[in-house]
Amino acid sequence: MKISIIGSGNVGVAAALYLIEKKVADVVLIDIVKNWAEGIAMDIVHVSPIRKYDVHINGYSDFSKIKDSDVVIVTAGKPRLPGMSREDLLRDNIKIMKQVSEYVAKYAPNAVLITVSNPLDILAYVALKVTGFALKKVIGMAGILDSSRFRYFIASELGVSPKNVTALVLGGHGDLMVPLPRYSTVHGIPVTELLSKSKIEELVERTRKAGGEIVSYLKTGSAYWSPGCSAAEMAECVVRDKRRIVPCSAYLRGEYGIDGLFVGVPIQIGKNGVEEIIELALTTEEKEALHFSAGKVKGTIEKLEAEKLI
Amino acid sequence: MEKVSIIGSGNVGVATAFYLAEKGIANIMLVDIVEGKAKGSALDLSEAAPVRGYDVKIEGSSDFKNIKGSKVVVITAGKVRKPNTLRYELLEENVKLIDPIFEEIKKYAPKAIVVVLTEPITAMTYYAWKKSGLDRKKIIGVAGKLDVTRVCEYAAEELKVSPIDVTALVLGGHHKFMVIPPEFIRVSGIPITELLPEEKIKKLINSAREAGTTILSLLKKQTSTYSPGAAVAETVGAIVNDTKAIMSVSTCLEGEYGFKNTCLGVPVIISKKGIEKIIDIELSLEIKEELKASADVINKTIESLGI
Repeated sequence: MKISIIGSGNVGVAAALYLIEKKVADVVLIDIVKNWAEGIAMDIVHVSPIRKYDVHINGYSDFSKIKDSDVVIVTAGKPRLPGMSREDLLRDNIKIMKQVSEYVAKYAPNAVLITVSNPLDILAYVALKVTGFALKKVIGMAGILDSSRFRYFIASELGVSPKNVTALVLGGHGDLMVPLPRYSTVHGIPVTELLSKSKIEELVERTRKAGGEIVSYLKTGSAYWSPGCSAAEMAECVVRDKRRIVPCSAYLRGEYGIDGLFVGVPIQIGKNGVEEIIELALTTEEKEALHFSAGKVKGTIEKLEAEKLI
Repeated sequence: MEKVSIIGSGNVGVATAFYLAEKGIANIMLVDIVEGKAKGSALDLSEAAPVRGYDVKIEGSSDFKNIKGSKVVVITAGKVRKPNTLRYELLEENVKLIDPIFEEIKKYAPKAIVVVLTEPITAMTYYAWKKSGLDRKKIIGVAGKLDVTRVCEYAAEELKVSPIDVTALVLGGHHKFMVIPPEFIRVSGIPITELLPEEKIKKLINSAREAGTTILSLLKKQTSTYSPGAAVAETVGAIVNDTKAIMSVSTCLEGEYGFKNTCLGVPVIISKKGIEKIIDIELSLEIKEELKASADVINKTIESLGI
């Protein structure tokens, strides 16, 4: 099996490292900066005797090397800097995603495409349109990361192992994400039974701003371990046909009453990409929050289409 | 590296040692009163170490003094079921078998957390509490953890999803009276009640109740080995690494869930202290009644112990 990662910045390299540590597949790192991916790959290869890697890792600036990949992860794009919103990155990153998508369509037409670059829900849409891939083959990475952060905050608050906590965060990847406490559990027990409403609200708020919190500490960059790990987890689910149920940004066609958009929802992820979209029995309030979040994504896309940017 | 002793080097004892070694959780001392039995298995496991790359020490002995310094002592010793025997029928015989073991633990590892797997687990956990005089937080019966893994596996199979994402809560006893609230069977947090029709959920719950018996009826000469071993190793790992993992286990209750001076399966937080905290959650009326019926059965068994 072969996984290609386009963009060998911090997120791409973190994803590569998780994939190699778990021996998920051979990894190809790509970066347009000449020799950059090659250097990173070489650095990681040198670790193999210590960490006992027996999968292959190679780096190139030549996109044709992604040929016949089973999964392509796109992390290429400019990252957020302090004071920037994910939307600020829009114009530059659309250009990058268009270019990358053309290469993916050309060299890895059978791959499942996982997009990580921000703004997530918009760029996943761009990737789908440019590649012309089947709808289930393009998935955006957001929900796993957002819910992982929510899970971590819940576990810390309760003083329990993060392993025991599950969470679902839906909607667009941004300040309007929709964490669902009712579906967030500790060993199957909904957190709503274990934490007060105000405490949950506090953790929800921290989750929404968690990416920004890290940017404010790092100053010259944004989070990369948790996004890299989340993308690697998705790639593993595809390569090993794990059929896990996880929140991801998927193209909806009427599910949840949303049509023609990428929005974070629980999906079953397996060898074909999106195996199934799971429709939850949401309350009116939860549904409204999801629609409000999706409305924001829709507004941006309509604006971009009017400007002929996508 | 902490030391974990396993009393009883039968299939489940050895499977526990296997999972502990594979995960590199602790040094292991296998003890069996049958001369050579523990030592042989310890050697066998140790000789796999170069291939599998684990470096915990695995030793075997028939002498209880070697459990000295253990952080955790696991009791797997005891008679196991044959087809058509019931778990509580093993009580009398296993009580006799286990009495001298407590004496040895008191003598050589008085500070250890005791993990009980001898059948009938819930009654035996209560017996261990009363006989050992230990703090109830230091005695853990691994029944629920095992039942939970079976519920999760059956649910995953029915839904064709990864078993990693399924969680469940099992309360009460480790037998056909175990209580499995459907609303707490969840897939990535989604209640199974949103994913499967009621009759299918009932069916898989019943299969989970009978899981141990199903395996016994297939193997005939042997009860299940791997799932109990894995459940014990997971519990031991949570103690040794102080992970604060939440599990359903059999623990002695002093008012929680409205029960006193008895032992029942409930969700707890496991830490280096043993049971860090019992999680007392609000149950539906229906589940409360089921739990009461389950407790009645256990209390009857406990009464027959005459302690």
